[in-house]
Amino acid sequence: MGEFIPCADEVWRLHNLKEADCLHFQKWCDEGGTLNGEGERATRQGTYCCTPSGVFLGSANHRDPKRIAEMLRGALKKWKEIKKEDRLLKDDPVKTWEQINRNEKQYPTDGMVLRVNSRDMPRTGLDQNDWRTHAWNFDYAWFRKDEVARMLPKVFEKKAKWQLPADLVQRTCRLHLVDNVRGQTPGFAPENVSEAEINCEVTRLKKGVVTIQMTGKVKLEQGQRGLEAKMLGEAQYNTKTEKFDKFELVVVGQRWGATQFNRREDDRERSPIGYVLSLASDHATEKVAPTEFGSYGWR
Amino acid sequence: MRKFAIALLLLLPLSATHSAEELTEASYDRIVKHIMPSAEEEAWRKLAWRTTFWQGVMDANKEDKPVMLYTMNGHPFGCT
Repeated sequence: MGEFIPCADEVWRLHNLKEADCLHFQKWCDEGGTLNGEGERATRQGTYCCTPSGVFLGSANHRDPKRIAEMLRGALKKWKEIKKEDRLLKDDPVKTWEQINRNEKQYPTDGMVLRVNSRDMPRTGLDQNDWRTHAWNFDYAWFRKDEVARMLPKVFEKKAKWQLPADLVQRTCRLHLVDNVRGQTPGFAPENVSEAEINCEVTRLKKGVVTIQMTGKVKLEQGQRGLEAKMLGEAQYNTKTEKFDKFELVVVGQRWGATQFNRREDDRERSPIGYVLSLASDHATEKVAPTEFGSYGWR
Repeated sequence: MRKFAIALLLLLPLSATHSAEELTEASYDRIVKHIMPSAEEEAWRKLAWRTTFWQGVMDANKEDKPVMLYTMNGHPFGCT
């Protein structure tokens, strides 16, 4: 695998927009045949290999690692047959990057990024060999520096109580507490929020670190789908660095209903689901933009 | 009718209403452990993934290597 540069990206944008990286992908992506059927609406999901200059080397859409390994071997063979001047870009791709519009360019370096882990809670009667029993997913919730500042109390003192700002709580709930355990699903609209609150209390003050207990509840409803859950967690805010050293919020309750792609067509009744929202690391793979970033309203 | 009744029984586990374990300080750690991905589930992070196609192209151009792109509806490293 060290012979390749591995990357991952969202395919709809690559397949449909007219930005430089998208046009590069569109130029060669179907040379090995369309991977997911014909027609304008057919997705281009899959694994592809190409030269930086845009010469197609191979493609496959399969979960079998042997099939992917076979495709990679073929791609590497083709790569070695191409002259260096033909496989590399003549123009500097870094300059092209500066012109590409990506949500990731708004990564809140001086704010806070939470990883939102989701998974069904245990229940009896399911086939333990069924992948859906163990399915899980994750997303990222972003907060800018000014938003983090609004989460804090006016004065740091023990037993101080306050609520996190309603707009931030609602955004987090409706865009991130979604039933994505088995597959993609859209967020909820503002009018789908029946209840969303997070109550905070300072439980400890020590050496510039403020420990905060969080409790809360949420109820989201849109037609036949919804979520009703309780929250419990703890955060530690460092007054010297003006950042959270710890932020962990657990959400457990019941989801119901289904959406077009979240694979709940046979599982629409109320069933338990859980989320853990915790600080993301600085690892490159944790800097992907929130799925519903377009609904953040950031400019 | 008997076959219909058996079919209904088989469907029951997925269609019945299930309640979650109560979220309390006592159950907190157990619930977190259940929800968070295991080391095995996070093994894919061991590769030096770039999180956009163009970052892959830039590095491949610099290192004279081919690009391997994994692409899904929804970012594979976000929510797909």
